[in-house]
Formats: sequence, C-alpha cells, structure tokens
Amino acid sequence: MGSVTTFQSEAPLHPAAAEFLGDAFARGWADPSKIHQESRKVALLLNEAKEVYCQHLALRHEQINFLGEPSLGFHLGISGLITNDSTLYHSAVDRSEVFAVASAIRSEVLPVDITGQYSVPTGTQSDLITYQSINGETGIPGVVPNNFAGKVFIEASPLISLPQKWSSALWDARSWNGPEGLGILGIADKGWVNPLPHNDSRVTPGSFSTPLAIAGAIALENYVSDFNAHESKIRALNAKIRNFLLTQIDDVDIAGDLETALPHLLSFSLLYVDAQLLVDELDKSGYAVDSGSACNSMNMQPSHVLAAMGLLTHGNVRMSLRADHSEMEIDKFLSTLKDLVLKIRH
Amino acid sequence: MELDCRGMRCPIPIIKLAHALKTEAIVRLLSDDPATLPDITAWARMTGNSFTRINNETFDVKREN
Repeated sequence: MGSVTTFQSEAPLHPAAAEFLGDAFARGWADPSKIHQESRKVALLLNEAKEVYCQHLALRHEQINFLGEPSLGFHLGISGLITNDSTLYHSAVDRSEVFAVASAIRSEVLPVDITGQYSVPTGTQSDLITYQSINGETGIPGVVPNNFAGKVFIEASPLISLPQKWSSALWDARSWNGPEGLGILGIADKGWVNPLPHNDSRVTPGSFSTPLAIAGAIALENYVSDFNAHESKIRALNAKIRNFLLTQIDDVDIAGDLETALPHLLSFSLLYVDAQLLVDELDKSGYAVDSGSACNSMNMQPSHVLAAMGLLTHGNVRMSLRADHSEMEIDKFLSTLKDLVLKIRH
Repeated sequence: MELDCRGMRCPIPIIKLAHALKTEAIVRLLSDDPATLPDITAWARMTGNSFTRINNETFDVKREN
C-alpha cells in the first residue's frame, strides 16, 4: 500500500487533545461535582476549558451548554425558541438536521441563488431564522440576518464571529478537529425553554463527557491558531486548484468563489463524470476525497446544497484543505485528476 | 426523438442526452433519476442549451448551438 493523501472532511483529533484523552482515560476520571481532591482538580480543568470556549466562541460562562450528542442541538436550539405564533425561516442550503426540525413546525424555506445568497425576510418578534455561518460543503458563508425582527439560531463555526444579535448557537467540536460526540450549545435568549421532556425547563440534558469537553478546548485553541497561521497558504492552494480546473479541464462547475468563501473547503462538479467511478479511481491512485453526488450518498439522493444552488450534482468532488498539504501534493493530485477525467469521459 | 432513460442513474441520462443532441435538434428525455432535474438545469446553463420540464420525469430539450 502506498501512502494516501486525504482531502476528506474528517480530520484526525489534534495530537495535543489526543494525548490528553489517552492520559485521562488511563488515570480514570473523577466526578467534578464531588468534593475530594481529584474531583476538585477535574472541576478546575473543566472550568479552564470553559474559559477557552468563552474566549474563542465569544460566549459568557452561563451561556455554555455541553452536549454529548451534537446534532441534538438543532432541536434544542431551534425548538426551544419556537412558540405557537412562530414561523421558522431557513435557507435551502441548511443542514438536513434543520430540515428535520423544520418539518415538525410552521416553516418556510428561503431559496438560494447560484452563489448561495438569499434574501432575509423581516419576520415578526416571535419568528425565528437560522444562520449558517459557513456551509460545510461549499465554504460559503450564510447571510447575516441583521434586519430580522425575530430570534436567530446559528449553526456556528469558530472561524466566523457571532453576529451582534443571536438567540442560540450550536458548534460541533469536529469542526475544529476536536473529539466526536461533543457539541456546544450557546443560549443567549432568556425565553429559551427546554423542548425535551424535562424536570427543569431552563436546563439542557447535560449528559456529556468531561474529558471530551476538556479535550475539545485543547483542540479548539490549537485549531484557531493553526488556521490563522496558515490561512494564506491554504487560500493559495485553493486558488491554485480553482485556476487549474478552469483552465485545464472542460465543463467544471465550481461552487462559489474564493473572494467570499472560506479557503479550507472546495466543491466542484465535472460534467459527464460518474462520481463513484472517479472517487474509486482517485482512491486507487492514493487520494481520498468526498463527494456530494447521489451515487456516493447513503440514500442515493444528490446533495441538496448543490441542487438548491443550481449546481451540477453529478461528478462532484469535495475537498478539505489543510496546512499540511504541500503544493507538490496538490500538483500531483491535479494531474492525476485531469488524466482520470479524460479517461472517464473518453 | 424520445430518449427513455428510466431506471438509469446519474450521470447516464445526461451523457445519453448530450450524445443524442449531436444529431437531433430536439429530444424528449424520460428519466426518473432524482438527480436529473438539478443536473439538466445545470447542464443547460453550462452548455447553453434549453429545456422545458413537462413533468417530474419528462423534459423537452432543445439544442441551441
């Protein structure tokens, strides 16, 4: 087996966080709410982790809720703000979890144009709108709902500052190479009510792993500083790929442009190319990529994000770029890609 | 002409459509693949051709160049 260059979205846990977790699980773990020495030490560590989240996610201590199941945060964050008078507005490129929550309440989908933009309605005070700070497939930022009269739920990223006005915000630790199984739900709205069966309407489930919460903070600190240090390099790699696609391969549909999109994500579709075949052939050549085409998805449906933007859904390739990708690796990848596309199209 | 691609998965209907339009000016495409509607829309934009959606599975496609 040769080495594999991965452009897939799942990045390994940051080494510093992995080291901490290994150590934590080897030593056993005390309950931070008890009052003996080990517990106090754990409580202290958890408190320090909260400080990191406060600083990097711009949250106040009392706004932080850890979740053991990040995707539950869509229901908690959205349904917890909905009243009988509310309409939920969400964009056509929101995650499927948002569509799932929306299907149970009065809601309206906001259609997007080919650049991923949409117009924000005015709404009323009891309405709710979602704001996706970065689209996870295309890297395109959502539209900040500045003039919306109602509440705002954010699918948040540590790379984009929270807007001035927000009601609830959800982060998944995997978005900063943190551990799986850790979500952070920020709640700013005093009117939020736990939508799950509850004993205390103000409290989220609270079933999370303390070691993961601490490891997530370690990963977050490292991710943000790495991103800031390497953003220009990653942007240059992204620009190089886009330029190659536009000049060296015919009939390529690239999502968004680099002026507005975050540089670590890239999605493009190749006309007349079977994505499953291309992904398999790239894999055999030592490259792992993701795809939003129907043949690569579990339910055989094309990516709703590409379809909503009016972009080609077949022949889709999705890449995540990281600082440890070298320019030479990208060059080799692009030449392999070009050969394969010519071969598949023949 | 009528091009029946029902039962075929993406990108085959679009490939067959492009092939048929090399000799035909107007093609009626029948396809039940869920990717066909978004893909025929994107294909028409990218290649400068046009189509009319008759129903969920029927598309009248016209070669424009």
